[in-house]
Amino acid sequence: MKNNIADLLKGVDGLVTLPHVFIRINQLVEDPDSTMADIAKAVSQDPSFTVRMLRVANSPFYGFSSTIGTVDKAVAIIGTSQIRNLALSMSVASAFSGLPNHLVSMDNFWRHSLYCALIARILAKQARRCDPEAVFTAGLLHDIGELILFNRLPGPSHQALLLVLDQLDEMPIYQAEQQVIGIDHAEVGGELAKQWTLPPMLVECISCHHAIERAEHYPREVALVHLANSLAQMAEVDTLETADVTPVDPLAWEITGLDEDIIEAVIREAQAEIIETEKQFFGK
Amino acid sequence: MATPPRMPLVLPGFEQVRRSWNATHEAYAARLLPGEYYVTINDECVYTTLGSCISACIRDRVSGVGGMNHFMLPASADANSWKAANLSAATRYGNFAMEHLINVILKNGGKRQNLEAKLFGGGRIMENMSDIGMRNIIFVRDYLKTEAIKVVSEDVGDVFPRMVVYFPVTGKVRVKRLRSLHNNTIVEEESRYITTVAKEPVRSDIELF
Repeated sequence: MKNNIADLLKGVDGLVTLPHVFIRINQLVEDPDSTMADIAKAVSQDPSFTVRMLRVANSPFYGFSSTIGTVDKAVAIIGTSQIRNLALSMSVASAFSGLPNHLVSMDNFWRHSLYCALIARILAKQARRCDPEAVFTAGLLHDIGELILFNRLPGPSHQALLLVLDQLDEMPIYQAEQQVIGIDHAEVGGELAKQWTLPPMLVECISCHHAIERAEHYPREVALVHLANSLAQMAEVDTLETADVTPVDPLAWEITGLDEDIIEAVIREAQAEIIETEKQFFGK
Repeated sequence: MATPPRMPLVLPGFEQVRRSWNATHEAYAARLLPGEYYVTINDECVYTTLGSCISACIRDRVSGVGGMNHFMLPASADANSWKAANLSAATRYGNFAMEHLINVILKNGGKRQNLEAKLFGGGRIMENMSDIGMRNIIFVRDYLKTEAIKVVSEDVGDVFPRMVVYFPVTGKVRVKRLRSLHNNTIVEEESRYITTVAKEPVRSDIELF
């Protein structure tokens, strides 16, 4: 059975919406005539968002030496495109709270996503020549298509999960989805990101994280999210056995210039940060 | 790819267990569902996925005959009744699952004094549920102690579901922790099984060796 992604997304229209503050920031960052002051003003119009943003800006997550007390200063120091990423990262979990499902708990889902984000960021810093904060956001968003499949097609999605559990050999969930549903969560998530007019780098990371050879413009970022996804699964179940999780495409190591030797240190660093980062981003 | 060898003959009573060729392990693999068990005298493996259910893997370390079960104690009205009374329905069900496995091993040439066990499962995979995994762990350890069967290794408890692959002939085991994406699916399968168990009266026709 081949499902039409456009129909799936039509079904979630109005159920998953990004907050107004993000939509406004997104527009302004894309607009060559907008100024930093415009963006600061857009942020300030949402007081609860402002408070949370300043909290993250002042957290060890960024590690700035001076205190950031105002939105103007935050926008100036963090940078406008960074503010967009931050706004997106901070609002995506609540955006999807209108799309419940019975197959995975939201806590477990977002924990994996946040692990992937943290690890993508750590890897990006080591790989260099790409923006660690943007890759963090890509990691956080990489599986959003799963929430759409689980909500819109619960029966077939459940069958896909059962198929994975039935295999003695590791079968990644996206392969089971392709087999049972005809499409996978990466394609669905990529389409939603496109509809939301998210930056093309995010769209490509979401839609290609299981098929990195399909990346056209951002192979480096896509490869980082691909690696981070498998390492996030390892961090979650606390294993150093790569055979236990979604297999890594060797091409990803090649593209990023990273070496498998770093896996353990990266996982330990992410495990040390996860609780604190959950508090910052999901207010837990 | 080489053609798989012929599937080894199944011991009587296990015809319904699904088996398929696994290229990675170059062996036939029997897939156990909750409530099932499997014994073999052949070089094949048996695998299952466990949430709070438990699997005992038992073999004769000399002859290699052995197998695996997959069960859970049904919840009883009084959560601690299994401790007090051996006669509670829950414990009887656990005894039933363990005795079936051991008796079929003995029937097929296993010697009681050669038996060794490995234990897996009993995870606490839902945060807000009572620790039914721990009940299963305590029961099975207790059972094996009474039967004087040595537990040579175990990987039980904690918060992860597991996939366990067991080779009775060699005693080799591979345990893989499963990501939380699968928690709800596993809980649902196990609840469905335990609901059927709870409805069935416990039969008392267990042959004791």
